[in-house]
Amino acid sequence: MKNFGNLFAAWMLVWAIFFVYEVSIARRIARLRQDMEDLKRQLQNK
Amino acid sequence: MSTARAAALILAKELRLELRTRELLTATVIFALIVVVLFSFAFDPTVAESRRYGPGLLWIAFLFAGSLMLHPSFAREQSNDTLDALRLAPVSSFAILLGKMLANFVFLFVAEVILVPVFAVLYNVSLSGVVGRLILVFVLGTLGLVVTGTVFSAISAHTRMRELMLPLLLLPILAPLLIAAVEATASLLSPPATLDRTWVSFLAAFDIVFLTASWLLADFLVEE
Amino acid sequence: MKLRIVATFLVVALVCFAGYAALFIAPDERTMHEVQRIFYFHVASWSACFTAFTVAFIGNVGYLATRKINWDWLGVAGAEVGVVACSIGLVTGPLWAKPVWGVWWTWDPRLTTTFILWLLYVSYLLLRGLIEEPGRRATLSAVFGIFAFLDVPLVYMSNRLWRTQHPAPVIFGGEGSGLDPTMGKVLGLCIVSLLCLIVLVLADRYRLESLRHEADELRQEVESRTLGSESLSTKAPS
Repeated sequence: MKNFGNLFAAWMLVWAIFFVYEVSIARRIARLRQDMEDLKRQLQNK
Repeated sequence: MSTARAAALILAKELRLELRTRELLTATVIFALIVVVLFSFAFDPTVAESRRYGPGLLWIAFLFAGSLMLHPSFAREQSNDTLDALRLAPVSSFAILLGKMLANFVFLFVAEVILVPVFAVLYNVSLSGVVGRLILVFVLGTLGLVVTGTVFSAISAHTRMRELMLPLLLLPILAPLLIAAVEATASLLSPPATLDRTWVSFLAAFDIVFLTASWLLADFLVEE
Repeated sequence: MKLRIVATFLVVALVCFAGYAALFIAPDERTMHEVQRIFYFHVASWSACFTAFTVAFIGNVGYLATRKINWDWLGVAGAEVGVVACSIGLVTGPLWAKPVWGVWWTWDPRLTTTFILWLLYVSYLLLRGLIEEPGRRATLSAVFGIFAFLDVPLVYMSNRLWRTQHPAPVIFGGEGSGLDPTMGKVLGLCIVSLLCLIVLVLADRYRLESLRHEADELRQEVESRTLGSESLSTKAPS
């Protein structure tokens, strides 16, 4: 199998990049939801 | 007030401002010269290499000098809040933009007129017989630079780090212009001196595309 | 919500199948052998990238035309996802090129255009980061986005006029082009699956932006109420 190393690296990179990106979005969303819950609670206490 | 008249008035105002101090023009010429000199230190070109890389170097020098010089045109307005006054005037946004574009064009073109002969001497390039056609190439190239540059200086005036933002936004957009201008200049400066129609038409197309886009989007650039 | 879960599941399944196809179903290429298989997701990432940037362009135009902030969310989602897809392309390309062409990189039209494309949209994202006020940020980045999109065909044309070193297009036109039918099918599958993935990621990014907007509005309301109650207490007669 010629140059399987490159193929493997490329393959891994593609999925790694997409995965990391999706995870970063998911984390940002989670943090935002958390912030919004806090803010809503603050509003209710006023 | 018609667009043309308004633009002409703004052009006159900018020119008058600049004529009083001439600082922008001087700085632009000196900066471009520095780029040219540094190039020869970094690469130590032979005579043949100078001829080959000359046009590229010339246009890179103008691109850098231009992108640095364009910034003050909107920054000056901001520090004095004169842009608000302009907005209130019964003048279309495109007229304001056009006036500034024309002013920037004049500055840059004058800088080029000063610099190209100096460059010809430093890089042993003969300009005889090609001056007219060379002017055409420089006019079209500078126009593209100035149209996009003025638009982006309006955009970057609202950002933090605006001095860095303008070249950063402008230079990638100008890549095709750079290629076309360099190729057109090179074909004029190396024997046989021919005016490459393809590249000249490309330059014209570039100018038309972005001038039209500026015209269509002018309101968004000048608004509050 | 349920639709999202089903959609995600389907897309992941599709992508996995496409990956399997690229690695095992597609026939072996005569000269390049294994490394050629990068081609399937390399080309797919380009179509994904271009789609994302077109979506960004639509968002930019939409915002300037309607002034509704939703279009701006579309713009930034498209730009960010496009940069990700473009980065994938720019990374898988050299990994393929080194064994095949012997060099990591070359300044031919396609590669150069893509690099500039990447630079342009990264600048778009940088620009957005430097403008605080949301309305102005949307307007100015939309104008820049439109200029950037208009520039892309110009970049490609100028580079193409200038020189060519990229191998003759395997699918579209050119002498000696043509693709083994199985390869063609696998490529098509990869392109479609990556496009579906991109749509999903775009939707997520869009949702993030709309949530951010909601959070900002909530924050503003909290602040104004805090200020309101403070000023009431300071107005109390001494």
